Amino acid sequence: MTVPLGAFIAVSAVLFFLGAGGVLVRRNAVVILMCVELMLNASNLALVAFSRRAGQLGAGNPLDQRGSVFVVFVLVIAAAEVAVGLAIILAAYRNRPTVNVDELHEMKG
Amino acid sequence: MPVGPFGIDPVVWAVLRLVIAVVLAVFLVLNGALAQIFLERKIQAVMQDRLGPYHTGPFGLLQTFADAIKLLGKEDIRAKLTDAPFFLAAPAIVFSPMIASFVVLPFAPDVVGVNLNVGLLYLTTLGSMTVLGIVIAGWASNNKYSLMGGLRSAGQLISYEVPQILGLVTVVLYVGSLSMVDITNSQPGPLVNALILPFAFVTYLIAALAETNRNPFDLPEAESELVAGFLTEYSGMRWGVFFVAEYGEVSVVSAIMATLWFGGWHGPGVDAVPILGILWFTLKTYVFVLLFMWIRATLPRLRIDQLMGFCWKVLIPLALVNIMASAVIILAFADPRLPLAVVNWLLVGALVFGLPFTQRRRLQGFRKRTRESVAMRDVRLSP
Amino acid sequence: MFDILEPLLFALFALGIIGAGVCVVVLRRITAQALLMALTFACMAGMFLLLGAETIALFQVLIYVGAITILILFGVMFTRQDDRGYGLFFQRQSPWAAALTLVIALPVAFLAFSFKDPSTPSPKGGDLTPLAGSLFTDYAFPFEIASVLLLAALVGAIVLVKRDEQ
Repeated sequence: MTVPLGAFIAVSAVLFFLGAGGVLVRRNAVVILMCVELMLNASNLALVAFSRRAGQLGAGNPLDQRGSVFVVFVLVIAAAEVAVGLAIILAAYRNRPTVNVDELHEMKG
Repeated sequence: MPVGPFGIDPVVWAVLRLVIAVVLAVFLVLNGALAQIFLERKIQAVMQDRLGPYHTGPFGLLQTFADAIKLLGKEDIRAKLTDAPFFLAAPAIVFSPMIASFVVLPFAPDVVGVNLNVGLLYLTTLGSMTVLGIVIAGWASNNKYSLMGGLRSAGQLISYEVPQILGLVTVVLYVGSLSMVDITNSQPGPLVNALILPFAFVTYLIAALAETNRNPFDLPEAESELVAGFLTEYSGMRWGVFFVAEYGEVSVVSAIMATLWFGGWHGPGVDAVPILGILWFTLKTYVFVLLFMWIRATLPRLRIDQLMGFCWKVLIPLALVNIMASAVIILAFADPRLPLAVVNWLLVGALVFGLPFTQRRRLQGFRKRTRESVAMRDVRLSP
Repeated sequence: MFDILEPLLFALFALGIIGAGVCVVVLRRITAQALLMALTFACMAGMFLLLGAETIALFQVLIYVGAITILILFGVMFTRQDDRGYGLFFQRQSPWAAALTLVIALPVAFLAFSFKDPSTPSPKGGDLTPLAGSLFTDYAFPFEIASVLLLAALVGAIVLVKRDEQ
């Protein structure tokens, strides 16, 4: 008995909305970054699930790996984004020693 | 209905083989750690012109057992403000990836836990999980020096993962497969990959020294710096777990070097008696373990900025040049071995001779200052 | 005999992912949140293995657990995190946000089950060779662009945290 494709997509959807809820609710900048990573992971799961289970370039061509290739790029971009995001948080922390986004809402130095 | 070896169902045999591999790995790692601790103390002693342990057992062979019993009997001291779950979990996070690495190492022609087609990627991934354990150990100790030691160690380990992977990629480009068994099978006979790809070997050797926190890169755990770094608050058998993890990691890295560059289990007599492969594999692995100990007894320690500078400014550019040249050569030539060997040996020459050349001003300054201080000392001594 | 294994593993990994995800969003201790996020990533790698994508599973562990988690831990350790109420957790918007999330998530999750597997079975075997083939032949140009992007991110991160030397 094999796991249906819909189950993977359901898990991906739930994780995505958990991450989105976290971004909306949490006030700590680093935690918001972590929730964004959860969202990216959810989309990775959906992409790989579709690519491995249903990825066919029509006419029975079995080697369509566009989803998996996209996931590789998402991994790369997520790593770059975390690096730059943390650099921004650290630079803002140096200016005003807080990571609470409620207190970082003014552009005035 | 396919029949596996000894008449067992192949699915059951696959699982059974994995279980045997895991049990053997634990056995090997623990005994290997004992052997390595003893070898290290004896070899360092011989190189430092002293005796080393000789009291317990003949030639001090039982010294490690005595040490282990002492460690087990120590009181489990835990500072009150440490983060308890993370403090307890950190040795496990450092130990598990090391043990898990033994599953893909090929010991003999058919003796491998599981022949993953991504074996080398698996080993690299496990190497990067050790860093997480070290950061957690540094953080959970609730101690400024541990935190600094942990973060510095994490920085060093992350930086040296890059040359490590770049060295491995060159071999993969040449062999064409990530599977450890395929890499071993691609080097029959005496023409081993070390003659064709020596620069990748040198890069991986230096990166492996840094990845396992061995001299000359053992700043994070040196006793004279930072009070033993991230290991400060760990005593007794918890420290013993870190210690065994380090020696196990040295074994794994040596085994990878033996497999990738020196033929793995190949050696005279393996075709006739396949089980001899285990002997050759172990011998080659221990040659590298002894090489690590030799380097530890010889070279002084590098400062954190020196080792980071060396990694990012010297090793990574040269390794990238190596990969580019190797990729071009492999695509251009039908038999890429000779051009690859030429390029690699040139790069080794560039590293060995280029480093003193680019640092010649600094070396001249050293020589001048040494001469001056010697001259001043002579002036002071004369009546 | 091993038929029950795949759904069992799926259930285990799904529980790990959702549970750790909930903890990341709800908990207050940031180190626990970071490590539970690493657990989410590891269970996600297990899901990838179930789908037969072992290369991507190993990439996931290598990049997410091995690098991004450590980056976030560095970020946590270099900034002082006051655990005392950063505005109360149960502030005005939280119930609304939770309700909105549930209202959107549950229908989408139920809708997801309507995706059917295609009638033709998917190819067996790992995904190392097909992925490598696609990545370096059809998508070589985006691959090069991604490396330029990494370079830009590297330089940008260094420039952002450089202190002004007086």
